[in-house]
Amino acid sequence: MSVEKPNVEPEGCGCNVAPYVLGALTEEEHAAFSRHVESCAVCREEVAALQVVAAALPAAAPQVSAPAELKQRVMASVYAEAREREARERAEEAPTARERGGARGGPRQGARRPRALAGAGEWLRWRPNLAVGALAAAVVALAAVALTTGGSAPGTRVIQAQVLVPRASASLRVNGGQAQLDVADMPQAGPGRVYEVWRERSGSPQPTDALFTVSADGSATVSVPGGVAGLREVLVTSEPLGGSRVPTRTPVIVAGVS
Amino acid sequence: MFRHSRGTPERSAAALTVLADEELMQLVYRGQAEAFEVIYDRHSDAAFSLAYRMCGQRALAEDVVQEGFLSLWRSGARYDRGRGSVRTWVLGIVHNRAIDALRRRTAHDRGRVSEEGIEERLVAPERTDVEAARRDEAREVHEALEQLPAEQSRVIELAYFGGLTHVQIAAMLDQPVGTIKGRMRLGLAKMRMALGDPAEVCDEC
Repeated sequence: MSVEKPNVEPEGCGCNVAPYVLGALTEEEHAAFSRHVESCAVCREEVAALQVVAAALPAAAPQVSAPAELKQRVMASVYAEAREREARERAEEAPTARERGGARGGPRQGARRPRALAGAGEWLRWRPNLAVGALAAAVVALAAVALTTGGSAPGTRVIQAQVLVPRASASLRVNGGQAQLDVADMPQAGPGRVYEVWRERSGSPQPTDALFTVSADGSATVSVPGGVAGLREVLVTSEPLGGSRVPTRTPVIVAGVS
Repeated sequence: MFRHSRGTPERSAAALTVLADEELMQLVYRGQAEAFEVIYDRHSDAAFSLAYRMCGQRALAEDVVQEGFLSLWRSGARYDRGRGSVRTWVLGIVHNRAIDALRRRTAHDRGRVSEEGIEERLVAPERTDVEAARRDEAREVHEALEQLPAEQSRVIELAYFGGLTHVQIAAMLDQPVGTIKGRMRLGLAKMRMALGDPAEVCDEC
């Protein structure tokens, strides 16, 4: 038997970096390699280096004008949706506005102790950099961010969060510097995944050790470590078990705090 | 007129055009359609050029660009300036959308599009004047690509613009998958050297 180098794990092989940044891996390979990159500093560094090249490639395409009628179609949708959104916000600011989600009492999940996850998580099958596109198709409506006074504890501010999952809702209950996130009707994060809470002051989101899964009815309650003082937003993304130090996916929940 | 009920100062279209992309994205995130329109105006030509180069069909390219921009608007997705310019981000989304569109098509169609001269086959959209900086960037990228051995530039183009997987490219060129991946890697690494300091390549970083 010849002494050969041990077979390198195909997924972890650096030879996947180039097809990865070019978008030339299959969907399954892409997902597997995305996970690998999170744990492999060498591949992460090469991905960052080659991604710069891939990002320059569009310049090699012949530059043509986007048709004027395309802009008309896009902006007609955008302005119509902006008007709808504003109307919705006005309605929520009216005195009849009712606090949503405040009484939901899902089990509090211990940090760093994700439970076994079930469900195919069909909605999470998109690749990280595909998130924006694929997710939009699933978006039924964006909950507007509205500030109301909470009905429970005096001085509690309830912030309705934007949730990018159909039917799901989330709200942030802020009292003093403390904040608690209540989610309802959320799907499971998916096999091998967990939800992670992020704090954004300005620029990049900062990770927290608040990892959570949702109960069978899709609810969960989780405290935001460190509160929300000085924050601009609280975000939630789906991450591999154990959490991530930088978000690997587009947020599914965004709560504007400032 | 669209008004902002949460204290966002209303800005005229002219005032918005002086804002940087990153500032506009903050307004887009809050639902300001006028800010989104400025983003669209700035990047739609580049987005359509990429989609058209990839799809080879005007109608499909339009669908891809429309889906891409509307998904940006609707999802409220967060732009992270740490990951590059807004343009890079927009083009990344359009690229992924186009890949999806191409992979949904039959293998027959896909092979045809990736193998033929895409531009000549169809009524070409109007060429657009791009500013000098963009022209320079385009020339540099072109040159970097052309200086590669043909076998390397080919796999990069089939992958990036053709939307093909490395497996499909291997089958098309009758080469082992490992060879194809190696050519991609070598080609990109050489392009990186040719393009010099990444900061110069990165758009508006």
